[in-house]
Amino acid sequence: MAQAGGQSGRVRQRTHEGFLRHKGFRWAFVATGLSVAAVGVYFFVALQLSEPPNGGSWIGYTLGTISAGLIVWLACLGIRKRAVSDGHYSLKAWVSAHVYLGLSLTVLATLHTGFQFGWNIHTLAYGLMMLVIASGGLGIWAYSVLPHRLSANRGEVTRRQMLDNVASLDAQLQEAAQPLDRACAAIVRHSIEDTEIGGGFWQRLTGNYSHCANKQALGSLRNLPDSGPDSEILAKIETLMTQKADALALARRQMRITALLEAWLFVHIPATFALLAALIAHIVSVFAYW
Amino acid sequence: MTQEFHLRLITQRAAGGDPIIRERTLAGPELTIGRSTDSDILLTDLSVDPHHAKLRFTGPGRVRLESVGGAPFLLNGQSTQRVDFSVSGGPVAAFGDYRLAFEGSEDEGAVITVTREEHEHHPSPSIFSLKAPVFGRRNMAWGLGLGIFLICLLVPLIGTVWLSQAKIYPDQQWSSGPLSKAHAFLENDCKSCHAKAFVAVRDETCLSCHKAGSDPVENATVLARSSDGGSPFEPRLIAEHAPHDKLRAATPLPDALGPKMGAVIQRALNHPTDRCASCHLEHTKPEKTVSPDPKAPLSDKPTLVVVQDCESCHTKLKMRLTKTDLIDTPDWGRHPTFRPLIMTSAAGPKPTFQRVQLKGLPLERNGLIFPHKMHLDPLGGVARQAIVLGKAGGYGAALECASCHTPDAVGSGFKPIEMERDCASCHSLAFARDGAGRLKSLPHAELQKVVDTLSGKTLSAASLSDRLRPGTIQPTAFAANSAGAYRATFSKGGACYDCHTITWAGDTVQMAPVKLTQRYLPRGAFNHGVPEHGGPGQSKVGGFECVDCHKAQLSERTSDVLIPDIAKCASCHGKTEAQTKAADDADCTTCHSFHAPGKSTPPAGHPPLETLKWTQTLARRGRLAQGPDAKHDRRSANVLQRDLPHVGFSRGLEPPVGHRMLPG
Repeated sequence: MAQAGGQSGRVRQRTHEGFLRHKGFRWAFVATGLSVAAVGVYFFVALQLSEPPNGGSWIGYTLGTISAGLIVWLACLGIRKRAVSDGHYSLKAWVSAHVYLGLSLTVLATLHTGFQFGWNIHTLAYGLMMLVIASGGLGIWAYSVLPHRLSANRGEVTRRQMLDNVASLDAQLQEAAQPLDRACAAIVRHSIEDTEIGGGFWQRLTGNYSHCANKQALGSLRNLPDSGPDSEILAKIETLMTQKADALALARRQMRITALLEAWLFVHIPATFALLAALIAHIVSVFAYW
Repeated sequence: MTQEFHLRLITQRAAGGDPIIRERTLAGPELTIGRSTDSDILLTDLSVDPHHAKLRFTGPGRVRLESVGGAPFLLNGQSTQRVDFSVSGGPVAAFGDYRLAFEGSEDEGAVITVTREEHEHHPSPSIFSLKAPVFGRRNMAWGLGLGIFLICLLVPLIGTVWLSQAKIYPDQQWSSGPLSKAHAFLENDCKSCHAKAFVAVRDETCLSCHKAGSDPVENATVLARSSDGGSPFEPRLIAEHAPHDKLRAATPLPDALGPKMGAVIQRALNHPTDRCASCHLEHTKPEKTVSPDPKAPLSDKPTLVVVQDCESCHTKLKMRLTKTDLIDTPDWGRHPTFRPLIMTSAAGPKPTFQRVQLKGLPLERNGLIFPHKMHLDPLGGVARQAIVLGKAGGYGAALECASCHTPDAVGSGFKPIEMERDCASCHSLAFARDGAGRLKSLPHAELQKVVDTLSGKTLSAASLSDRLRPGTIQPTAFAANSAGAYRATFSKGGACYDCHTITWAGDTVQMAPVKLTQRYLPRGAFNHGVPEHGGPGQSKVGGFECVDCHKAQLSERTSDVLIPDIAKCASCHGKTEAQTKAADDADCTTCHSFHAPGKSTPPAGHPPLETLKWTQTLARRGRLAQGPDAKHDRRSANVLQRDLPHVGFSRGLEPPVGHRMLPG
């Protein structure tokens, strides 16, 4: 069985072609070609122009038009990905082109600026574009590394099972604590009622759960003076809480990796919208004050 | 009858469906409530104490609920530790998750329905996603996008249309870079140049402060506009290179494909490439040009770029301009020979001129009789007379060019010849002595006054010599009665006869008017002050002397044109240092400034802008304010003093950067 599983794994690896190496890096070559051509034109033609390099020279306009067109097309991935299809223009091909052409924008748009920056709408649009690209770069890293980590962390346990484990331990705690007095019961209640599995954005990203209620409850429990008749129950509860801490840690690691996998999109998408607005303002303002 | 508690314990099934209802009856008068297994009503909620409360009948249909350990509970939502109440009103007590609903019973006891609120929620796996804890991506995206759209586009657009008087400048964020120092005062006023939205900056806006006209009053108005507009600097007034329509027709598209397409597209999109702003760029990083004067960096001015160089327009010009006299100059080697402006007649209110090629040995008719050879002959009578006049008289040796030609104030040219200053040392106009013995001279250049002066006068001879001497009176000419003196003055041997062409109509004298050409090449500038050019007092070792270019010593005729042809210029300009020590560039702008083709382009750089400030300018002229009312008049006066329209150029302000050299 193990051998069969291993074989099927290898087969899957061979047939799977990620968006990065789609069609033998076709779009990587296209994007590199575009960037090299732009750099060549810039250094061999633009610097020979009589005017200082800027977005208003004919090369500036050309680079700007290509860049703006690319930005709009790249943003269209959001629409394209909602329309399922396959074939020559499969989503994978789109994503591959999206990634590489998006990276080439760093070259094209930077050359379009002529390295003239200031506190204005034009540099804002450029900055937002670079933010979008940088967050997209994080996305590439996340999508190439984190799925393996997610899988490794999870093992054979599903996410539902992780949550059920915690719920089950809570039920056991509830049951076990019934004979306890008010003070001890309060400790158990703290673990049951106040433990948050996920937490906020930063908590998930950093994985910092030092104020976890279960952890605190465990600490309080261990600090209790020895109490003769209940010590057996308390020992059981401590075991349950320790098990709960392990279950929580597993679920939280899963959440942290998921958060890392998703966080870039919380920059990428809003920054894209901001970029599109700034791009429109950039273009309109340039021609309004031509 | 014993009061009893009728308990109904309702438990929800975990899998759903009908709840489990268990009923039992407990005899009164008291029962216990708690988490402890020996409690009469067992509440397995950890927030309930093991022995939490007691319930006791206090009368028919009345009970007392009382906390045992001091832990509170709720009755009808009110927290309490002890309460007496009637069960008939349907009160509800709450312990943790448990609800105890009371009702009356037929035996005046109480029915207590015990339920547990199931608010235990089971989180779904979706909590693993960030979407759960974070403000929606979509909201963030739309919020940011619309915010930027509003602040960076709509507000400035509206501001430029409706809030032009406001002191906030929302359109500032559209500025792609700082303005040059010269224009920095306009930084907040985008519309001063960008007058119409979506229309490229037009020349009219530039010329509103920079247009040089021929009318001094108009020029004063232009300068006043800049001052009133807040400019701390006096703008330079600029003339067109040629009439604009002509200029546009004469300018070809750039040669290179990219610029050519760029120009075609820009023109098609109403963004002409022949505007002031096409060459003088603002909002751009100043080029790192090395200025000859570090105190006056060119970066203080708008960046100058050359859209078209000289030769690109001045090649095959007739293909684009049907009516033009201009000869093509595709490069320095093919610069046309000089065609000086030759005076064809000095008669009439204005002399007439014609451009004639030098190699055709043109003859000039300026009305004067002046053979250069006679005056410069070191062995001739003129030389002899100069020696006799001696050093005290400013001579002492044979005449040289500088004896008569006086450098102008700048040193680049010469003052116009004036008879009294430059000739009268020898050619005396004295005709009599007054009572005190002082010589009286004939008025020069006004024939009628000469006639009036001489008419009716009896003049006497006082000298023994027949030769004219400075400070003497020519005896034969005036030793006659008045009529004779008049005729003798204009006849051979008379004071006027040597230099002027004289004819007689009966007794009335007629004299051909004399007008001397001051500039033979008005389309170009030649600076005698350049040391190598050998101008007065400037001659440098290895440089030229007058005679190298002007063959005056050989010129026997007044009508000879004595300026050299371009071949003389080409003996240094365009040559290599291997060919001549005095090798120099052959740059169009050396002799032809773009905005004033008849002037040369001064060296790069310009006075620091501070020195151009209005106040300092006025102070230099000793015209500082006597009162605000005088402001406008003063400015007008300033303008009137100047040699307009080339105010700027005469002050050495012509921007030379970017003008290209001709090949060769």
